[in-house]
Amino acid sequence: MAREKIHVGLEIGTTKVCAVVAECRRDGEVRLLGVGESPSRGVRKGEIVDFQNASNCVHDALSDAEERSDHEIKSVWLAVTGSHIESSNHRRSVNIEGGGEITEKEIEDIASKDKEVSLPKDNDILHSILQQYYVDGREGVIDPIGIGGSKLEADYHIIHGVVNRIQSTIRCVRKIGIDVEDVVVNSVASAQILLDDQKKASGVVVIDIGGGVTDYIVYHNGVVRQSGVIAIGGDHITNDLCIGLRIPITRAEKLKIEEGSAILENLSGAEKITLKNDTGFSGKEIDRSMLNHIIHSRLHELFLILRNRIQEVVPVHLLGSGIILTGGCSLIKGIREVAESVFEVPVHFAHAQSVTGPTSAFDNPQLSTCIGLVKYAHAVDADAPQESFFNRFISSITRKLHLI
Amino acid sequence: MITYPRYLDRQSETHSLLIGLGNAGINIVDRLISQTGFPMESLAINTDQQSISNTLASKKISMGQMTTHGLGTGGDPEIGLDAAKESAGEIQRSIVGANIVFICAGLGGGTGSGAAPLVAEMAKQNGSLVIAVVTSPFSFEGRRRSQQAASSLREITRFADAILHFENDRMAELIEPHAEVRETFAICDNLLFRSISSLNRIVTSTGPIPVSLPDMLAVLRHSDDSCLFGCGEAIGESRGHHALETALRSPLLDRGRLLHDAGKLLVYISGPPSLSMAEVSEVMREISNNLSPSAMLHLGVSATQDHSSPLTVTIMGRCGTGKRTGAQPKVTPDLTPLAQSQPTPPPASKPQQAEASFFEMPLAPTAHPTEKPAAPKVQQPLLPLDPVTRGRFDKIEPTIVEGEDLDVPTFLRMKLKK
Repeated sequence: MAREKIHVGLEIGTTKVCAVVAECRRDGEVRLLGVGESPSRGVRKGEIVDFQNASNCVHDALSDAEERSDHEIKSVWLAVTGSHIESSNHRRSVNIEGGGEITEKEIEDIASKDKEVSLPKDNDILHSILQQYYVDGREGVIDPIGIGGSKLEADYHIIHGVVNRIQSTIRCVRKIGIDVEDVVVNSVASAQILLDDQKKASGVVVIDIGGGVTDYIVYHNGVVRQSGVIAIGGDHITNDLCIGLRIPITRAEKLKIEEGSAILENLSGAEKITLKNDTGFSGKEIDRSMLNHIIHSRLHELFLILRNRIQEVVPVHLLGSGIILTGGCSLIKGIREVAESVFEVPVHFAHAQSVTGPTSAFDNPQLSTCIGLVKYAHAVDADAPQESFFNRFISSITRKLHLI
Repeated sequence: MITYPRYLDRQSETHSLLIGLGNAGINIVDRLISQTGFPMESLAINTDQQSISNTLASKKISMGQMTTHGLGTGGDPEIGLDAAKESAGEIQRSIVGANIVFICAGLGGGTGSGAAPLVAEMAKQNGSLVIAVVTSPFSFEGRRRSQQAASSLREITRFADAILHFENDRMAELIEPHAEVRETFAICDNLLFRSISSLNRIVTSTGPIPVSLPDMLAVLRHSDDSCLFGCGEAIGESRGHHALETALRSPLLDRGRLLHDAGKLLVYISGPPSLSMAEVSEVMREISNNLSPSAMLHLGVSATQDHSSPLTVTIMGRCGTGKRTGAQPKVTPDLTPLAQSQPTPPPASKPQQAEASFFEMPLAPTAHPTEKPAAPKVQQPLLPLDPVTRGRFDKIEPTIVEGEDLDVPTFLRMKLKK
């Protein structure tokens, strides 16, 4: 069998840079060929603050991935995040001319109305996702072509961000001679791999708690209802521990990974954790209960904020498939219990759907965004042959002009 | 209800006059003129001929030539008053026609304490709106000066429509204890200077949400409470938050802690044409989260024509009670284990609320009909508004959700809300 096209997904995270080389088969299965990683420097809250350092890390991660996959990387699909990324739902409409039958022309017209959405002046649209069509006010129309009517309306979910800040991420990759195919918002990428149609239909939320930011996306009735970024992540827990326990930040990070837990039940109150002395740190004994309290209050708060955001569009109890947690922070002990107590629906950990490959990496929640990128790339490719070569050329140019 | 028919018509040209009385007053006036090219007319009045000859003020009156022979009062307010009476005609001629008069003086000495009440009275009789901006002396300057300042302040209160009273003691105790003397005075002067320029802006602003004069006077009328004042400006990303943070850092707000004691508060936000409603509501939400539920809040918003002007947040107010709130009493320690190693003292505060409810704090504290105003005033908690608590996120863009700075550890914020 001929090899499918190989795609590379790159995520420049706050804690680490990940690159995934994978091929996506016709049946939708993703086969991992190699994963490259590098600890991240110069990134805060999902955005680049130190350009040179970040660029070096990207280089390290990509060469690592090249080595492991034995594939020369020329271009990548890039995940972006950051607190500037926002979303909103819009309804737009076109009048149907002529015989009152909806044709592809109307569908194209309505899809090209992106420019009419009013955005803050520094922002531009990253994704414009169709939710549903209405014909003469009748809702729930899935494919309106051929239906008669006088007015076609459509709901779109628009994800937009500040152009300059997205560009700086793109530039960081371009600088080392790698082309960027397209940028995809983290949550959209993760959803590609973590969700199937059944989950999207019954209602589900993907919460990706990374090092610097938390991305979330809400699906209900098969469409995206809400998405967004909250600039809170694992770094905040580390910072809380650093302030609350008065220990150095590197020690706090280590403590969080080794001992961190958000479980408040069955705390004896007297249990101590001894931190060994280290260069520049004389060692300390800390209370287990305090450690857990600090982590618990941070996560509890984060989930409350998320619940309010979700509640704006869908009542949480209607999410039939519950909540899916992913991202590095979802590895903290007891996080599921905290989430369940806030959302009161089942909470699961991410399990990438239909991924195979030689590496055992695909159950790692830190990789779901990258694998999702590959799946997204494949979906875009699968759409492409319907367009003529010329059209595709044009659209890829506009796509890039849009983002660069 | 007091009415101010002459000034409520904002279309008419306001004519403000800034008077610097005595050495301290003239200092402030000079600073205002040299640093901002102050747009209003200024008048320097002193008994000391030497200081008068050096001032930048556009008009100068060397008063009491016969009483003091141009040599100052020697710290005696009686002489200051006599000198003012002697030159009353000249002063009267200079202030007539101004509809807003700012009187700047350092109380406690001779000229300021002696002449300020008389000047205020004359201005009032001319039908001007009188705003006094005064400082009271350091306690180490002696009892006598404090008493002179206090009696002079009482006199001024009778005539002035609004008083901003800055206590040097309080400012100094809140400024870094080991700051240089010059620096301390510079900070004090700077605060006065900021307050006058913001008052002038507020009085002359046109909206979208103008501050009505009765509102402003209601906030500033009484002189016996400590005055709260803070002013900050910022540009760029999350400028609202940064401006507010700077304003709260003012020593006269005790790094934001005194917001809890505010009985009446005036918040004035001005900015370039791009000032958005979201920014205003974000600032207001952050403020009202920290206010006591019974506090009265006045809001003013104005947008200038100038695109490069920064977003400015000005907070003025009075403490709720007539008492000084200088020393915060020690608060009862919290009982949970967390309290033991908490950097800031955890205070018991508002009536118990459910843990989750702080996300639903209303925008305006007045929208809390069920919460009865704390009649015997509950001691409000200290707020960890000190930027140190943001730790490693200190220098980067803050995460503000629903008016809360989420970079500050949750457990610290929770303590304060519960």
